[in-house]
Amino acid sequence: MSKGTNDLVDNLVAKLKRRQLVGSSAVAQATLKLLIVVISKNNWSKANDLLNLVRSVGQKLIEANPTELAIGNIVRRVLHVIREEFRDAEASSTSIENSEFQSAPLTTSSSMYNLLSETGSGDKEYAHASSNLRSDIIQEVRDIRIELDTIYENIKNQATNHIHSNEIIMTIGRSRTVEEFLKMASNKRKFHVLVAETAPSYLGQQMALELSNAGIETTVIPDSAVFAVMSRVNKVILGTHAVLANGGLVAISGTHMMAAAAKHHSIPVVVCTGLYKLSPLYPHDEDSFNVVMNPDAVLGFEEGELMEKVTVTNPYYDYVSPNFVNLFITNQGGHPPSYLYRLIVENYDPNDHTFDPLA
Amino acid sequence: MPPKEKVESTEQVLQAVILADSFDERFQPITLETARCLLPLCNVPLISYTFEFLAVAGVQEVFVFCCSHSDKVKAFVKNYEKTSNMKINTIVSQELMSVGDAMRELDAKQLIDTDFILVTGDVVSNMKLDQVLEEHRARRQADKSAIMTMVLKKASPQHRSRSVGDGSLFVLDQGSKECLHYQPVKAFKSTREDRRMTMNMEIFDKHPEVQIRNDLIDCQVDICSVEVPALFTENFDYQDIRADFVHGILTSDLLGKTIHFHEVTDVYAARVRSTQMYDAVSKDIISRWTFPMVPDSNLQVGDCYEYRRGLVYKEKSVVLSRTCVVEEKVVIGANTQIAERAVLSNCVIGKNCIIGANVKIDNAYIWDNVEIKDNCVVQHSIIANNAVLEQGVTINKGCLISFKVTVGANTTVPAYSRLTALAEGEEDDSDAELISDPAVVGATGRGRSFTEAEGSDDEDEEEDPKNKQVNMLAFDMSELLLAAREQENSASDFESEASDLEEDQISPEEELDREVAATLDPLELNTLRMATFSNFLEMRKRVIPGVLKHIDPVAKPGSGKTAKEILSRWGPLVGKMIHDVDDQIDGAHVLHRACASLFQDVAQAQKVFAPALRYFYDEDILEEDAILEWYHSKRSQQGTDTEKKLREVATPMIQYLEQSDSDESDEDDDEEEDDEDSE
Repeated sequence: MSKGTNDLVDNLVAKLKRRQLVGSSAVAQATLKLLIVVISKNNWSKANDLLNLVRSVGQKLIEANPTELAIGNIVRRVLHVIREEFRDAEASSTSIENSEFQSAPLTTSSSMYNLLSETGSGDKEYAHASSNLRSDIIQEVRDIRIELDTIYENIKNQATNHIHSNEIIMTIGRSRTVEEFLKMASNKRKFHVLVAETAPSYLGQQMALELSNAGIETTVIPDSAVFAVMSRVNKVILGTHAVLANGGLVAISGTHMMAAAAKHHSIPVVVCTGLYKLSPLYPHDEDSFNVVMNPDAVLGFEEGELMEKVTVTNPYYDYVSPNFVNLFITNQGGHPPSYLYRLIVENYDPNDHTFDPLA
Repeated sequence: MPPKEKVESTEQVLQAVILADSFDERFQPITLETARCLLPLCNVPLISYTFEFLAVAGVQEVFVFCCSHSDKVKAFVKNYEKTSNMKINTIVSQELMSVGDAMRELDAKQLIDTDFILVTGDVVSNMKLDQVLEEHRARRQADKSAIMTMVLKKASPQHRSRSVGDGSLFVLDQGSKECLHYQPVKAFKSTREDRRMTMNMEIFDKHPEVQIRNDLIDCQVDICSVEVPALFTENFDYQDIRADFVHGILTSDLLGKTIHFHEVTDVYAARVRSTQMYDAVSKDIISRWTFPMVPDSNLQVGDCYEYRRGLVYKEKSVVLSRTCVVEEKVVIGANTQIAERAVLSNCVIGKNCIIGANVKIDNAYIWDNVEIKDNCVVQHSIIANNAVLEQGVTINKGCLISFKVTVGANTTVPAYSRLTALAEGEEDDSDAELISDPAVVGATGRGRSFTEAEGSDDEDEEEDPKNKQVNMLAFDMSELLLAAREQENSASDFESEASDLEEDQISPEEELDREVAATLDPLELNTLRMATFSNFLEMRKRVIPGVLKHIDPVAKPGSGKTAKEILSRWGPLVGKMIHDVDDQIDGAHVLHRACASLFQDVAQAQKVFAPALRYFYDEDILEEDAILEWYHSKRSQQGTDTEKKLREVATPMIQYLEQSDSDESDEDDDEEEDDEDSE
């Protein structure tokens, strides 16, 4: 790796480690920007070289902050794009050389058959010297960037399909996606939003302020009142930090409680999320991918004697299991949780779920 | 010096100075073999936390001052620099003995050309300094004399993260954020000076609102201007940044510099000053108060800690046996193996350790490559790298076991022991042979117990040893108190200021004798009065005998000890204690009693009493009415024989006064002259 890119990588790693850069969106943007530089500024001739390079960078970034799943997602997307491009190039070159052997389609893994057959096929096919692919790959990666930039646009355009007049909507925490979604709907419809205040970060209060500034009828409720008012609610709309492969959510703490209350009252739960938050990883236990914060927000550090005697855990996220969620609204449309596996197959290569170096 | 406008600009490179040495011996014997700032705190070298803190603050250039074990620090810093985004320079100077020396060195080398952050190499903090820096710069723009901003954190007095022995009293003005006075506070105030705070009264004139606070953690994070090192050079006797520098600047009228403070609330900041603080800060890190500086954010390159429920952090390569119990608040480093039925709670275990079966570890800090064999019990102690505990060893609380010590089988190490494997000759251990002490480390052990005195040329020998003990790991205040009571039954250290008053009554003479001699100034006597919550009545009871005691009834005139000479010198002071008629009457009584009790011989007492009374009358301290009132009061007529005789001495004067009540004559002088002569 060249010196310049190495410094850039170290810089981003340091920022992620020190938590100077947090939040899925910001992290995803930064990762993608870095990867574009890594691909364009480094020497590589074979596909495997490039894949290993991107993997090693990805590994470093993920280790710097393993709870920001968007980093891994973006790296996998890029790896997937690289593989696709190589496959296309391979296909075209072989088709020119010996057009009679066109039987095996090397294009996208679009059928169930390919899915199964390709997982074990290894990476031999990428070992060939590449033709002038650099610009093609960069172009494809830039397309991902455009996708990231237009995510909010694409999601909020679906708002009127889901929010109807005079509905009561409940939400929690502060999510830019949900915010834009509701604001868009308020242009055409009149509805009421209940925002749980989301202790101890109280991001819900900020959210409510934003919404009411946009002219939406908004009420802040304490977190403890969520169950009590749930019976009057028509729909729960949630933002999330990440979506796991099984359809489970890693979302701000309090979300699980709200989703469970909604389930009790059979109220539909809709999750607004960009596709870049969809991770191919599975949660092995409820604590995975969670962040436990400083207890200061719950119990003041000044409380000397009390502080010694009690243990305070202040988790930032909740794990919400997939059976609480009815619908995901992504930038590619609405999907039920059971459909997520398809999206994962379309966007990520199964060889990239872990970043161990390729043989 | 660079051109002036360069200093003004805020676009400059942000610089920081780390004092990697602590200039004390609290971590000995461990610090005999490695640098203080490299001690592992939750398996990460201490100075890494400081570097990280500075990196988050946006510091681009760091100067590390180190003295002892500088080669080790240098190697570490060089390695660390690669992965940090900062430029780190190490400055080695073997002559550094204090913070003051380091600052003078800094000034001599002219390394700093702008405002800089001054921290010690043992600060753990997650605070962001942008706001403090901004405030400091704004103040500098407005007022050039604001040379320093201290960062202070509020915490209740009994907080575990407060260093018990290093308290400090700040006098603050919340309006202007100015620190007005500073006073270090010792845990054990054995001398009078320790219990007193002397403050310039002008502070109250200049600042309408003043806070005197003892609830602040001083983590010694300071934003200093370039003048600070220069001031250290000017005042070559300054050693400590707080006790000497801050105190000196604030009490100096000549310098005209001001020091400000910034109080932080919802962030963490503490210094690992002592083993007691090492324990507290480790616990804070494990309990995530320092977030994001927690074990699972893997500050050190190559670490891979994961967070588990119950505040357990472990590396992926740790081997836990099936029946071992890892309770709350445990950190376990890479490649460590924990055998069957071991119980771990509230502890930190380093890399490559081997923990045997049935071992119980509670509250202990075990560093790298330590081997603890079966059936050992370790409580509240620090065990350094490569130490070995053979089977069945019990380590009681508060022990420091240094590098490579081996404790033989079935040995019980008593509480607060300090063991080292270094030979007596110290540092150059190649020559001297280690003589193991089987009484301490067992028959098969290797090591000896370390005694404080050796090699430590303590400058301030008068320091109360209890103040040192209080900083020790696992120190129990109640135990100490018990010991103290047994040792001495005199003034207990924890009695409040009120005890001073009682003490005064025990030995009023010497005490006030000294005070009075020292403070002729009535203002100061007044302060003294307020400090002891006493009133003028009490003060008179002390000041008058104090003055009279100087009088030597048999002294020759001119010796400075006769009644007349003493009274003319100290009399006005007594006057300050007397205001209205009631005071005067009481004053006369006090004078009467004091003479009677001070001088055993009646003749001598009379020789003192009469001139004194006359002097007070002449100076209008005791007016006519008061003297008459005293004379005729029942109180003066009763009492001991001496007192009665003294009253009789006053009789001629009283008669005269009663006479002159009707006719004002100018014979006063003559008659009284005679009066005196007759004595």
